[in-house]
Amino acid sequence: MVSLRRPSMAGIGRAIERMSASKLHRYLRHGRNFRAISNLVRPIFLALALVAAMTLCLIGVKQFVDLYHVSSAYLIPVLIAAIRLGMVPALVVAIGGVGASAFFFYPPIYDFRVHNPEQLLDLPLFVIVAAVTGQLAARARAHAVLAQDREREMRALYAFSKGLAVVTDPAQIYSAIQDHLGAITGCRVVYFEAGASSSASGHEGEAVPEIVLRTVSKFAQENADRTGMVVDDERTGTSWLIRAVSHKNAAFGTVAIDVGRASQHGHSSMQHRIDAVLADAAATLERLDVARAIGEVKLRTEAETLRAALMGSVSHGLRTPLASIMGSASILVQAPAVAHEPRLAGLAGIIRDEAERLNSDIQRLLDASRISSAGVRPHMGWVDAADIVNAALASQRRRLASHQVVVRLPDDLPLVNADQVMIEQALAQILDNAVKYSPAGSAIRVEAQSRGGEIVMTISDGGAGLSPEEREQMFERFYRGPRTRETTSGSGLGLWIAHAFVVACGGRIEAASKGVDCGTVFRIVLPEAPMVTAGARGGPDE
Amino acid sequence: MNKHLPVALVIDDEVQIRRFLRAGFELENFAVQEAATAADGLRVATLKSIDLVILDLGLPDMDGAEVVERLRSWSTVPIIVLSVRSSEDEKVRLLELGADDYVIKPFGMAELLARARAALRRQARGSAGEPIVRAGSLSIDLAQRSVSLGGEAIQLSPKEYRLLQVLAQHAGNVVTHQHLLKEVWGVTHLEDAHYLRILIRKIRKKIEKDPTQPQILLTELGVGYRLAQ
Repeated sequence: MVSLRRPSMAGIGRAIERMSASKLHRYLRHGRNFRAISNLVRPIFLALALVAAMTLCLIGVKQFVDLYHVSSAYLIPVLIAAIRLGMVPALVVAIGGVGASAFFFYPPIYDFRVHNPEQLLDLPLFVIVAAVTGQLAARARAHAVLAQDREREMRALYAFSKGLAVVTDPAQIYSAIQDHLGAITGCRVVYFEAGASSSASGHEGEAVPEIVLRTVSKFAQENADRTGMVVDDERTGTSWLIRAVSHKNAAFGTVAIDVGRASQHGHSSMQHRIDAVLADAAATLERLDVARAIGEVKLRTEAETLRAALMGSVSHGLRTPLASIMGSASILVQAPAVAHEPRLAGLAGIIRDEAERLNSDIQRLLDASRISSAGVRPHMGWVDAADIVNAALASQRRRLASHQVVVRLPDDLPLVNADQVMIEQALAQILDNAVKYSPAGSAIRVEAQSRGGEIVMTISDGGAGLSPEEREQMFERFYRGPRTRETTSGSGLGLWIAHAFVVACGGRIEAASKGVDCGTVFRIVLPEAPMVTAGARGGPDE
Repeated sequence: MNKHLPVALVIDDEVQIRRFLRAGFELENFAVQEAATAADGLRVATLKSIDLVILDLGLPDMDGAEVVERLRSWSTVPIIVLSVRSSEDEKVRLLELGADDYVIKPFGMAELLARARAALRRQARGSAGEPIVRAGSLSIDLAQRSVSLGGEAIQLSPKEYRLLQVLAQHAGNVVTHQHLLKEVWGVTHLEDAHYLRILIRKIRKKIEKDPTQPQILLTELGVGYRLAQ
């Protein structure tokens, strides 16, 4: 009996295994979901193996001890199966256990029928135990799996963040995002840089479907909805998730993720993980942006310090000797011994005049460096326009001596709100230009008038005039007219400085000319004070 | 040292500037004392009889304003400041602390001498009581409180005369807006700079040949006014 029973049991087990193996193999060779099937079938086989093992034990025990209520022993494999394998295998064990006890142990033996139906009462009990324990265990297992998954994800995200922390270059971040998203989703990820959406970075091997490229470039352009979207590529039957790296900053680019045929549910769970990665990456990109901005500020500050030092050393290092030269020359010019000798007086005059010119050149350079680096900060105040014009004329008195200067200023010019030093400089510059580009002895007219709430200061000469090209570009830095570039010295800075100063004071500067050799008319236009003179007229004198 | 020559103390850290100032002043019959630092300058000013101080503002050891303040604490000696462009506020501050005038570097010797002489005259006028100040064709008799232009008396309002009087007391030297406002309208009108502009305009119409191109009552942009010499 035993000899008969044993081989038969072993036979059943082997047969089942053989069958399962071969069948599975055949099935799996053609099927795609090898892992899914094996995951489903294996616990059933294990459950059956448990039943077989228990049955063998019980048969062994029965040789020595008489067993009456054998079936209750199957509660042990039921529990084991429920806890380790899940509810379905536990149910399999429950049914298999009751079946085995009916077949092997309850009379009639080797027959599934039983004489005493009481002996089958275990079946519902087993089923309930299997179901309840299986459920509980499954839930616990699910939690454990989830916790493990989370831990793995957290670890990956942490590694990703740590990697990002040392990144100094956006390109590294982009490839890190691509790799990390690829790793956690198990999908192909393609990163698109902002502004270059038609060409994907990385993953040159496989082409990205045309529809995805189109959607990405459309997505990048439409800033209204930046939450992301799903595109289905009908040709390959796969879906692509398209997401902006940052909702706030479109410049950080877009990613397209090939999620394959994943279900809608798969999308939403994947969305969360992708969100986490992208949020982290966006934060790092922002940090990098801040870092770059800080770097630029630092660089600017250094440049500023250098410029200040340079300006300081230029103004001191060049102007101090100039002050000595100009002072000494001014003494020589008037010293009786020199004044009585015309040739020496001439030389002394040259020293003085050229030193003066050098001084105004240095001043121009300092002004230019001030304008281009720090910008112009006018010191605004209400000033008499006539005073400014007179100050400019006084500063250029020696240069203007070669020309016939006609000044026409009305008695009651209103005040202007401006930085008087800047406007004086601008006027002096234009006067200097008029002297330079008009023949000696010709007239330079200086006028100022109030016109429609503005003060217009006009300087006109009868000199070289302007070609259309010159008028276009004359206020640009370093611009020098092609006609006079070779014959007249100059830096190309003067009018640019004048323009910057006038604009900084809220005014404008214009130049007009009837054409080449027809003279030039410059206008500086400044807003005038609203009725200050008239309103206060009664007060001050009484 | 000749007792009759006025003594100018030049306080400047640049040796070349001291040299040309010495030459310039000596040619104009001044005696010259030199100091390379503010401390040295202050020491010389206390030890020697000084008639005029030429003070450079860029001294390495002391702020120019402090030098002016210290000198003014015990001396009325005329002080001319050597300044750089684009610091109107600083000039005004120094003038209000008691400096008599300034010249802007680089400057010609003639300009500095004119300022220095004007300051010396104010000093002399204070002690000798010379009552008549002349500026071009304008003549202001401080004792008679009368003003004439080319020999002809001109009518001025009390405020106009008061303004001319203050300028005449500093003839040749700059007088700040604040100082004029205080002297003519009182301390409650220090902010009313337009009063001053309007009054200046009225006076110019009476005394200048072309009021828009003044030759007598000159504007120092951002600082104040000056009666020409």
